[in-house]
Amino acid sequence: MTRLGTAVLVGATMAAIVAPFFLKPYGIFLISTWAVLTIAAIGLNLTLGYAGQISLAQGAFVGIGAYTVALLTPLGVPFFLAFLAAGLLCFAVGWGLGYPALRVQHHYLAFVTLAFTTLVFLVLRNEQWLTNGIYGITGTPRPSILGWSTSGARDFYFFCLGILAPLSLATWWMLRSPWGRAFVALRENPLRALSLGLDTRRYTLMAFAIGSSLGGLSGALYAPLVQFIEPNSFALGLSFNLLLMVIVGGAGNFFGPFVGALVAVLLPEWLRITQGYYLILYAAAIMVMMAFCPSGLLGLAERAIKSLNGRRAGATAAVRAEGAGP
Amino acid sequence: MTAVLQVSNLRKAFGGVVAVDGVSFEVHPGEILGIIGPNGSGKSTLFNCVLGQLQPSAGEIRIDGQVTTGARPCDLNRLGVSRTFQLLQVFPQLSVHDNLILAGQEHQGTMSSRLFGRTDAGLGDAAAQMIEFFRLSHLAEEQAGSLSYGQQKLLDAAMAFMAGPRLVLLDEPAGGVNLTMLGNLRERLQAYHAERKATFVVIEHQMEFVMALCTRVLVLAEGRLIAEGAPDEIRRNPIVIEAYLGH
Repeated sequence: MTRLGTAVLVGATMAAIVAPFFLKPYGIFLISTWAVLTIAAIGLNLTLGYAGQISLAQGAFVGIGAYTVALLTPLGVPFFLAFLAAGLLCFAVGWGLGYPALRVQHHYLAFVTLAFTTLVFLVLRNEQWLTNGIYGITGTPRPSILGWSTSGARDFYFFCLGILAPLSLATWWMLRSPWGRAFVALRENPLRALSLGLDTRRYTLMAFAIGSSLGGLSGALYAPLVQFIEPNSFALGLSFNLLLMVIVGGAGNFFGPFVGALVAVLLPEWLRITQGYYLILYAAAIMVMMAFCPSGLLGLAERAIKSLNGRRAGATAAVRAEGAGP
Repeated sequence: MTAVLQVSNLRKAFGGVVAVDGVSFEVHPGEILGIIGPNGSGKSTLFNCVLGQLQPSAGEIRIDGQVTTGARPCDLNRLGVSRTFQLLQVFPQLSVHDNLILAGQEHQGTMSSRLFGRTDAGLGDAAAQMIEFFRLSHLAEEQAGSLSYGQQKLLDAAMAFMAGPRLVLLDEPAGGVNLTMLGNLRERLQAYHAERKATFVVIEHQMEFVMALCTRVLVLAEGRLIAEGAPDEIRRNPIVIEAYLGH
């Protein structure tokens, strides 16, 4: 990582730590939502951005994770066990969902995953005996850790940040290992990857399973964050929103989901001053952004830095040439 | 001595069209075997059957005596069978160096050990040596997609050799490569062969390339093997001239 990159990372981490001390409860709720949805976006970035497997099912996995925790904790299951159960359940379901990806790709796969999201939504809505249907589930408790209660907004934000940090590090570790290169190979040229000994079947399933698992863990935090979950929260809209986060931030860029989630969570709120027009403006901003920087905001930043470095190198060369002149 | 590759009565039909019809041959250790034939003669289908990309309709394939008929390409690669492609098949967004590490990493440890192992899977030096061998050192950190066509062909070949394979199948390595780069590619392949005693099977249209590189040549026409021999014999064989060179 460059010095500039390290400085930005340190600055952003510091900002994430001090931000809740300067925000009102709603602001803290928003940055908590950012932390929670970033986890799901990291998962989708792995599946889509790195491994190239289009998925419109990430919102459904957030839902499965949220309902797992919301259903298990009232039964007396400790939060951390329910949290792990959400991750494991989504890993298993995600592995299963990966099988269609072995047969179909691109928009066909998008439709398969879209159908899965609809299926999960219907189960959450119709199986009232289990999920309480359209009435949803309220009051999922926030956990206490060694006497530290996270029921306060700021405490829960730090708890979410404390979960986001190790999950991010683990993902970073995986992506810098040979697995990360294998995932990129899946995206760029699966035929060649197969001929080089990569078990593309296993890596594809793994990309789906791990990505889905992160969606489930995000959902496990979402339930105690919002304290009320119902099926509509996990319908196709959330999956599209998570897809937007990955694309806007920069698919296949490790920090893309962090930036994308920030934009997707905060931009609509900032635009609220325009009252009834805020969603129209939000949609227009996204369209303009995608038209001019399809590689996402981080792709744009990288291009700007490269261009700046190029100009600087050109200017240095010109000064040298002038100095060497007669 | 056990043949590195043994193909027996291989047949592949697509509906009513028989692309490969009862082809048998052996490739011996250290040999460079050329396979030629006019368009539609079944060369690529034969290759794809040997490499696990297609399931043969009948027949048997053995690698080092082990039956591999219908095995997956990744399993064949782990048995020491490597290939290049007719069309460019590199990973364009990865650097040249990363392309080569990728080409060898699945031969290092297990899937779980690779997760916790070194980023370069311990192949950094081997990749650098292979890059140097194929004279791409000045491009090591460039994205593969930014290389010229000929340079990508060299990279494609380097990737095929990265895991130290027993057998390399080269699918039209000279296709679309200019004369200078073609000479460079042939010379590198010959150097690799001389140094490592690797076994090659080459499908090629460029006759000069085949005649200069291969020690033995098979000729296919309409899915059948019609001739076999040293390059000079093949060049003079009237059946071959009729079926292929005469066209």
